[in-house]
Formats: sequence, structure tokens, C-alpha cells
Amino acid sequence: MSFKSSIAKMAGKSSYWFLHTFRSGGSSLPGKITTKIDPTILKDLGKDYDVIVITGTNGKTLTTALTVKVLRQKFDHVLTNPTGSNMEQGIVTTFLTDHKSKKGKNIAILEVDEANVIKVTQYIKPLAFVFTNIFRDQMDRYGEIYTTYRKILDGVKLAPEATIIANGDMPIFNSVDLPNPVVYYGFNNQPDGEMKADPNTDGVVCPRCEHIIHYKFISYSNQGKYYCPNCGWERPELTYQLTQITKLTPNLSKFFIDASNFTLHIGGLYNVYNALAAYSVGKFMGVPTSSIQKALNDPDERVFGRQEQINVDGKEITIVLVKNPVGLNQVIDMVGTESEPFSFVGLLNANYADGIDTSWIWDGNFEKLTQMPIQQYMTGGERYKDITFRLKVAGVEDNQLWTYDNLKDAVSNIKNLPTKRVYVFATYTAMLQLRKQLATEGYIKEGI
Amino acid sequence: MKYNLNVAHLYGDLLNTYGDNGNLLALKYYAKKMDTDLDIDIVSLDDQFNPKDWDIVFFGGGQDYEQTIVSKDIQHKKEDLTDYIEDGGPLLAICGGYQLLGHYYVGANGEKIKGIDALDHYTLSQDDNRFIGDIVIKNAETGEIYHGFENHNGKTFLGKGERPLGEVQSGHGNNGEDQSEGVIYKNVYGSYFHGPILTRNGELAKRIILTALSRKYPDADLTPQKELTIEPTF
Repeated sequence: MSFKSSIAKMAGKSSYWFLHTFRSGGSSLPGKITTKIDPTILKDLGKDYDVIVITGTNGKTLTTALTVKVLRQKFDHVLTNPTGSNMEQGIVTTFLTDHKSKKGKNIAILEVDEANVIKVTQYIKPLAFVFTNIFRDQMDRYGEIYTTYRKILDGVKLAPEATIIANGDMPIFNSVDLPNPVVYYGFNNQPDGEMKADPNTDGVVCPRCEHIIHYKFISYSNQGKYYCPNCGWERPELTYQLTQITKLTPNLSKFFIDASNFTLHIGGLYNVYNALAAYSVGKFMGVPTSSIQKALNDPDERVFGRQEQINVDGKEITIVLVKNPVGLNQVIDMVGTESEPFSFVGLLNANYADGIDTSWIWDGNFEKLTQMPIQQYMTGGERYKDITFRLKVAGVEDNQLWTYDNLKDAVSNIKNLPTKRVYVFATYTAMLQLRKQLATEGYIKEGI
Repeated sequence: MKYNLNVAHLYGDLLNTYGDNGNLLALKYYAKKMDTDLDIDIVSLDDQFNPKDWDIVFFGGGQDYEQTIVSKDIQHKKEDLTDYIEDGGPLLAICGGYQLLGHYYVGANGEKIKGIDALDHYTLSQDDNRFIGDIVIKNAETGEIYHGFENHNGKTFLGKGERPLGEVQSGHGNNGEDQSEGVIYKNVYGSYFHGPILTRNGELAKRIILTALSRKYPDADLTPQKELTIEPTF
């Protein structure tokens, strides 16, 4: 270790100690200080670890959490970065504050933002990459799916020996020939048919001949058993396959992967993909199937916390974070698996963290809500007018819709909703404001 | 419903960014209030565009890659689209669609991507900059104020015979230089507005539907349609 690295590490560690002792947080500042003193610090920090990088648009956080649980079944020391710390400085902090094991293997499972993959691979050669998916995000921040994939590949190019564990149902992950070994996971749970994706779907052009691809079946969005009717380009062979889904409710999924059954204590087809990714990494790392089952079946609240239930005067409130059209459509489908009558609340903000352009709500299939047992709709948030008109166009009648221009009124009227179950869709800052309001009124603890 | 209009969604399976599909949802919503059914179909790669089949055309924007593919294919539809436009067919074009109606736009790598020359504008690119943010414009003829969200790298310059959709009150507009935003040519409306444009500016949706109705049903009494009040949605 160089003298510079030692100083850098010491400075970073002491700032972490300070922040944790005297403040209640600080996950990127220590990394910032450390990288400032020694920009190549990751090379030194990461050298004793087998690193697996998880990247993609949606599902990184849960995939990472599930993968950590799976690998901890076999390995004593598995390090990971906390939720949201998926940029360079957060990753440096993660290594910096780890107490690595002297004997045995140290493993690091890192959730890495698409554009930051290269900042990791500059210094660390991962054992494997996991590609979850690439969907259109709010484009005022990130750009097009092809640009996003190129950013990931720029990072992957520096680690040509790392195995890529990719979602095989996603056409873009089969569009560029890479020197890396690649294994694919995907869905094989439906009989072959003949179909095209919904017209309002991104990423359906054959990269070889520029025709629109067709599918034998589609799981959701542009994912499935695709092929090009013009040139024969098709989905690659899957190494790990989901073969059957036996149950799907808003908070439980049961399915079979490679003939073994799994129970996941969270709903949403997209989360089945996340579990399949974690399973694939587990198999790749030699974790026995029974241990993977045990890890995935565990109803761990810390892992599944993103869709939490809050009790407000006897109402069961489920808060769901929405941030882009594909994610939005997936959670619409998820509440579609609810069998009890419920109320729907939509809270829309357009601050930087939400995406400053609200146009994307028009790519959400809110029309589907009108087929569900929804007894009352409510809208709110700083951009309540946008979400209100979206619901009206979807077919929600004025007399079914309560609209509030501030969250305080929205929260106090949640109690007056006619159903026990309430689903709240909220953008990021709207969710934070809602939580703060719920905390003020004593329904949840502050800061959780 | 009393009336029926056929809407062509040009390359709707390739060009579908930024919620532009919401324009079709808004058209349907207002058409219903105007006693009109809309049948929406996609006209895409290798399809023929027959001007006689359509009462309204919507042409949205897409990602660079898909737009390059469209630029090649649309050359085969150039004459038919031009006939439709010259004949007074109503058309709404957003972003990439707006650019492709003109002579050309400059792509991400500096190459010229061909349009169909139906309208007389052209589009240059900016280096490492996009016009992003809320935008408000005022239409000179009607005094109507339109709200939108712009997000474009292209700088479009209007040609002879083209009027802007509006004058920029706040935001950047076509090119950030001449205060113009969008275009009006015959019954064609082009714009960089997302939001989408018709969900925030119902007056424009109403105008497009009225134009289409009076073309298709020249003898009909459209008084109730003209009297429809548009509630603000933004």
C-alpha cells in the first residue's frame, strides 16, 4: 500500500467515524475525501475481494440485496453497498468501512449506477457483472437506452474476463458481441405463440437488420422469447430458467426455477426477475439450490422494505415508489393481482429526483385501473393537476376522484377512504413528503 | 357516436418517447366530448400511407437510432404524405416527427438525417447542450397560451410560408434565437412540446378534431363541437 493510499484511507475512515458518531449518516462524504487525496484508492481497497457488479435501470437494489442473502449462505464475508450509494464515492466508503476477514474469501456485491461502472472497473476487475435490464428512465437525466447500455459497456471493456450474467429476455443484452463469457437467465413459462410488443414499447428493433422483432411470448414490456422474423436473430439459450409461476399477489410470489420451487415475500413480476438474477449469481458462485431457496424464501423485512405497509387508523397503506413508465406499468399490474376492494392514491412531484418532466405518466397504462376493484381514487402532490387529468383521461369519473393540492389534506383524508386497503403510488420526493407527514402525525417513526 | 375519424399514428411502434402517446389519448378524450369516435392505427416500416384513408395524422419523436431507421423508410411515403399535407389534412408532429417533415436534421454524430421536404424548415444540432425545461408560448392569431416541456438538442429554423406555433414567453423554443416555437403550415402543427402538448393544451386538440370533422363531414352542423369548453388541465 502506498503512503498516499494510507493517508487517504485514514482521512476517509476518520470522517466516517465523525459522521456516524456525531451525525446520523454520511455514506458518500468519506468516499469523497478519500478519492480526493488518492483518486486510485479503489484499486487498493478492492484488491482482496471477489467483486460482483450489479447494474441496470430497474431492480438493482432488490437484486443486490437478494444476491447478498444468497451468497451469505456459502461465504462468511459478503460486503455490499447500502441502498442508494451506487456511485463511485459511496462505493469507496463501502470498502473503506469494511472489516474484512483475514482468512477465507471476501466477496463484495456492488450495486453500481450505469454510468459509474467504468469508475469501478478502472481499478477493480470484477469476477462477474449482472445486467438486470435497461428501460427508458426519465430522459431529462439519463438518456436513451442505447446510450445507457454503451455506458455500461465502456466499463465492461476494461474487464474482458469477467463473466456477464445477463437477463436473456432483454434484446439489448444480445445486441453487441463481447469477449466476455456470458450466461443468460430468463423466463420459459409460457407456450410458444406469435406476437409483437405493445406499440408504445421501447427497444424492439432487431440490431442486425433493423426490422421490428416478434415474440413467441412476452413477460412484460419488451422482454420475452424474442426473434426477428426477417433475419432469424433470436433470444440466446438460457442457462437459468424460470419455468412456472404458481402464485402472484401484491405481497407474495411462488414460482419454479430450473424445477425447484421458490417463495418470495414480495409481489410483482419484476421482482421475480430480480430473484431469478440472484439465483443465477448463486448458481454461478456454487451455492447449493437448497441454500438459495432458503435465502430467497426468508421474509426479510429489511430486504422487502421498499413496498411497506403502514397502518393509518386501521387502513393498510402500501406505498409504492414509481419513477419510470416500465416500473409504473409493472406496479399497476401488481395491484391488479389484488383481490380485495381497494383505494388508489397517486402523488406526483416533478423535482430533480422525480424527473422534472411529468410526460412519462402518459406512458403508464392507468386505463387498466378502471378494470380493478377500486372504490375511490385520490390525487395529490405538487403536480396534482397532471396526475388528475391523467386519471380522468383513463376513464376515472369526477365523482370517484378526490383531489388535494397539498399532502397534509391528502394524508388526513386517507382515513376517510372507503376501503381497508389503500395503494399509494408516489414519486421519490412525494414519497419523502408523505413519510414526513405520516411521521408528524405519529403513524411512523421519523427517518425510517 | 355521431362521427368517426381515422387517425394514422406514423411509426407509432418506433417513435414513442416522452409520453407522446398521451396526445392520442387526449385526442380520444376530447373527440368523445365532441361526439366523435377515433380509430387509431399505426402506419410503420414498409406500410403504405394512403392519404385518402386518414383524417388525422400523428407523428411523434423517438430515440436517435429509431429515428434514423424512420428517416430511410419515410422516403417511400414522402409523396403521399406531401399530398395529404398540401390537401389540408390535419397533422400533429412532435420533436423528431416535426424535424423529419422538414429538409433534414443533424444527428448525434454530425451526420445529416434526411427529412421529406414537405415543410420548409431544417434543423441543426448543438454541441453538448439540450434545451430542457418548462416552456410557455403565445399563439399570435388566437392569443392562446400553450404550456409544455421541451427537451431537445435540435435547433430548428423555419422557412418561407411557415409560421411559428407560438412566440416564446419563457423557455427556448425552436432554436433559442428567434423566439419562435413550433410551426403551423396549412393544417400541420409541429412542436417540440412534450407534456404531452394536447393533454396540456386542449384547445389545440379541439382545433385539430374540428378541422378533421369539417373536412370529412362538410355539410354537418358542428355547432355543438365548436361550443365545447376546454377546462384548464395544467
